[in-house]
Amino acid sequence: MIGPSTVLAAEFPPSVEDFYLPSILPWGAHDSYWFTKITVLVWVAVAAIIIFFLVSYRKPQLVPTKKQWMAESAYGFVRNNIAIEMIGPRGINFAPYLTTLFMFVIVMNFFSIVPFIQISPNSHIAFPAILAVISYVMFIVVGIRHHGFFKYLKTALIPPAPWFILPLLIPIEFFSNFLVRPFSLAVRLFANMFAGHMLLLVFTLGGFAMINANAWLAPISVVSWLMTIALTFLEFLVICLQAYVFTVLTASYVQGALADEH
Amino acid sequence: MAGQKPPPEPHGDDGPPPPDTGMGMTAVSYLFAGMLVWGGIGWLVDHYVGTKGIFAGIGAVVGAAGGVYLIVRRLGA
Repeated sequence: MIGPSTVLAAEFPPSVEDFYLPSILPWGAHDSYWFTKITVLVWVAVAAIIIFFLVSYRKPQLVPTKKQWMAESAYGFVRNNIAIEMIGPRGINFAPYLTTLFMFVIVMNFFSIVPFIQISPNSHIAFPAILAVISYVMFIVVGIRHHGFFKYLKTALIPPAPWFILPLLIPIEFFSNFLVRPFSLAVRLFANMFAGHMLLLVFTLGGFAMINANAWLAPISVVSWLMTIALTFLEFLVICLQAYVFTVLTASYVQGALADEH
Repeated sequence: MAGQKPPPEPHGDDGPPPPDTGMGMTAVSYLFAGMLVWGGIGWLVDHYVGTKGIFAGIGAVVGAAGGVYLIVRRLGA
């Protein structure tokens, strides 16, 4: 939590250093990053999701209560509009994982606009990377279990094309399906959250930098802070969109692994 | 809940169907993958032969063509 005094003291051009928050253990060393605000936020996200769904489904009723309705809407949205829409009837098997993924990403992203928290763990590449690795391993394992190892490689790597173009196409398929996919999943989410945090920092700290430099610039500072508020709403859009995109792409990769040749 | 049947109509909600994000991303990734892979191979050839970038250029064009071909075959009707 940044008080106004520390904001005033913060250096104006925000840098990557602003993402490495100090350890919150009182006995921690100065450069120990084992237990920071980011760590706390991850555990808060995990606990919030588990507790919310457990409580909502403790006594399910035919006419749902408000909490139950919210939980069912979240699950129903992912199940019907992502899992079944993308994968087909088999998508139901993946709906629990996809819902968990969606909720986790959206809650983690949402921290970036909660007042006084205002940083998302997803603005560190480590968290999106692990999520992308899970999705990557999952779609490959699903494909291998569905087709068998060699048949899966054949459907994934050999497009329907005349034999003489295949040497041109197979490296592209391999690169696109097995190297770009996990990388782009992770980087897309990370870069969006990183850039969002950076943008808010620039406009907030920029306001303070201008008002400190010259009192006549105060009106522009106010404009800068109003921009921060507007950008926070934009950030909300990005948060929902990125959680949705991550889940949809995971579903689409699973769908590709399950698809039969056509 | 996981055991329920899927809704009879394709969309459970009344809203419009979601945009086909998966397909768009796949298309873009094919295009970039084509240019990167064959451009990269061309760059290696350049490095090996000692030319200044002609093979990288040719590779990128060929790779883009391959990427477009893949998009048409995999995603086209």
